[in-house]
Amino acid sequence: MIDVKGITKKYGKLVANDNLNLSLESGELAVLLGPNGAGKSTLIKSICGLLRFKGTVTINGHDNHTPEAKRLLGYVPEFPVLYPMLTVAEHLEFIAKAYRLDGWEKNAEELLRRFELDDKKLKLGKELSKGMQQKVSVCCALLPQPKAIIFDEPLVGLDPHGIRELKAVISELRDSGCALLVSTHMIESVEENWDITYIMMNGRIERVCRRADLDTNQSLVDVYFDITEGQQREVTL
Amino acid sequence: MSSLLFLLIRSTKNNFLEILRKPGKLILWILVIAGIGGIFALSIFTRQSADSFLDIIWLKGILFLFILIFVVVAIQKGLSNGDVIFDMSDVNLLFVSPLSARLILMYGIVRMAKMSLLMGFFILFQSNSLSANFGVGFDAVLLVLLGFFLAVSLLQILSLLIYSLTNGRPVRKRAVRLISAAVFLPLIAYIGVQIAGAGEPIMALENTLRSPIIAWTPIAGWASEGIVSLISGDMGNGFLFLGLLVLTGALLILYIALSNPDYYEDVLVATETAFEKKRILSEGQINTEASSTRKIKVSKVGISGIGASSVFHKHLRESFRANRLGLWSISSALTILGAALFSLFLRGENSGIIILLQILMWMQIFLIGTGRGLKELYSHYIYLIPESSFRKIVWSNLEIMLKVVVESLIIFVVSGLITGAPIILIAAAVVVYTLFSFLLLGINYLSLRWTGADISTGLLIFIYTIAVVVIMLPGLAGAILIGSMFGEIGFLIGMGILAIWELVAALGCFALSKGILHHCDIPVMKTGGR
Repeated sequence: MIDVKGITKKYGKLVANDNLNLSLESGELAVLLGPNGAGKSTLIKSICGLLRFKGTVTINGHDNHTPEAKRLLGYVPEFPVLYPMLTVAEHLEFIAKAYRLDGWEKNAEELLRRFELDDKKLKLGKELSKGMQQKVSVCCALLPQPKAIIFDEPLVGLDPHGIRELKAVISELRDSGCALLVSTHMIESVEENWDITYIMMNGRIERVCRRADLDTNQSLVDVYFDITEGQQREVTL
Repeated sequence: MSSLLFLLIRSTKNNFLEILRKPGKLILWILVIAGIGGIFALSIFTRQSADSFLDIIWLKGILFLFILIFVVVAIQKGLSNGDVIFDMSDVNLLFVSPLSARLILMYGIVRMAKMSLLMGFFILFQSNSLSANFGVGFDAVLLVLLGFFLAVSLLQILSLLIYSLTNGRPVRKRAVRLISAAVFLPLIAYIGVQIAGAGEPIMALENTLRSPIIAWTPIAGWASEGIVSLISGDMGNGFLFLGLLVLTGALLILYIALSNPDYYEDVLVATETAFEKKRILSEGQINTEASSTRKIKVSKVGISGIGASSVFHKHLRESFRANRLGLWSISSALTILGAALFSLFLRGENSGIIILLQILMWMQIFLIGTGRGLKELYSHYIYLIPESSFRKIVWSNLEIMLKVVVESLIIFVVSGLITGAPIILIAAAVVVYTLFSFLLLGINYLSLRWTGADISTGLLIFIYTIAVVVIMLPGLAGAILIGSMFGEIGFLIGMGILAIWELVAALGCFALSKGILHHCDIPVMKTGGR
């Protein structure tokens, strides 16, 4: 569903993404891990078509800049940016109109209820706390029922209920055949559901790890520290 | 070395090194300095005869009004959050350290003074207009900068003190408002008496400017009197009034330091508010409405349109919710009013409406960026909407174009009626102004497309400004050359040529920036440190 081939992104002399390849099938949950500054958000923004880059990105075979690809892709940014003068309900209405969705109202109601926003429909974007804004941002991304969704640190700022609901939503989306790419520092939050993990360091994917590759007593946290700190140890030695 | 002194020196040194390390910033600074030098040289070579200069008393009036704006802002800030003299890094690292709170306050004030000096940098660009209008040299410009620096520094301390004294105390806030109004009462009364006596408003204004009442009006009066006295060679008076600013500032600092050593809480709100504003800017929220505390009543709801057109309808909903005039804010009303007032002075001038058109076109270069269409580029929504890039850009800029068309119609019809300009000239001014705004949008997108938005905001604005000048030059040259061949009707022909050029150039810019949403990085507002 998501196919990334040879992405290179430079900021001046800094190579933020160095010839990255990534592939994600429908019904798969891929986790993007890495220390701060590894290039995860840059990769995500490139896949979503928000940055220029060298290489190709296709969504279900369509170039990521085409309307066909955009229709299939949902994106939850790291920092929720809402329109300060639109209400919560109008954010969803805007997405529905912009994406030419039919019969979206029921889906919108359900999303608002799940994320405890149903009593805040008339609240303006600027009146919401950061956590609430994050919930609206998630609802906006999910409303068009995309076939591939990219989450950049989705749990940051959410309250415990929001975290539980989002984890449940991610699990349901995966079961329904949606391709999911999640960048997070909260490794435990994806421990139950992940299928494939990309561990990034210094703009490169250092390891691609499938769940089946792990030993029975090995966790994703172990793999992460093995890669990120193991390398540092090697350099020090 | 004291840790605070180390911090001051090291951060200044690092700021300087950063300029040297970043070619974009270095070029910008070189150009700014070269610009100041160029304007200074121009002011020497374009000196007019002494007969054509305005009386320096009018410079005093301009300075008084200018500093008065800062006085009002400082009092308002003091009554809300106080002024920002610290960064969050100071709050997190210095406030919890065992350093003396009074020393930290001094450190904050020195940093703040540095900022006031930088704020006044634009004054250096005024040397040519000061020289042309008042016959003064670059030394006078430096004196204006000095007076501005002293006044703004004092106002920042005053703002901090007002906040410290009135925070959470409504009675004291009312008292500050009353005192602030009372300070200006003698001046208002004096102006009233002068108008009643002299009958002629200009004469009354001149008499007021020459009176001691204005000179002794706190801060704005002291600063303007001090500056103009020094420029005129009255050193005693100059030092007296500028000395008053310094003395008052020193006394206020002394009062804060002695009476309220536990001032941390008083500066915290302003520092956190400023930090939060910077944070949300860097996260892509560049709408100033996001940080406004004004209560908004939600009455009408819903968004019309479908596909890309929903972006335009969203803009309408946002604008009409943000203010009752919808697309036309208070600034539109002020522009129309200002243009009408200015037209009063242009009555009888054949080219009055052209002078107004020129001024408005200059202003529009920087005002066009306030439209919601360009702001839309800073958040991800417009990039992800599954519609063609072209359709999205067109619909997202319809709001600003609608605004410009209506504004230009009102401005030039009102101005034309006042100046007695022929209808055809009014229509030509509307067309030239509207198409110029269209061209500016095109140049904005072209600058983003060409640079990929991967440069600092300052450099991007600089490139955009240069591009405006370069792109307009052929059209202006053609309009002047061809227009001058046709005598009386030449004005209209020239404007027609300019309008056609603007349209062609705008279409060219939009064509060259085709696919802007695919070929540039989502811009990030780089807020930087203080």
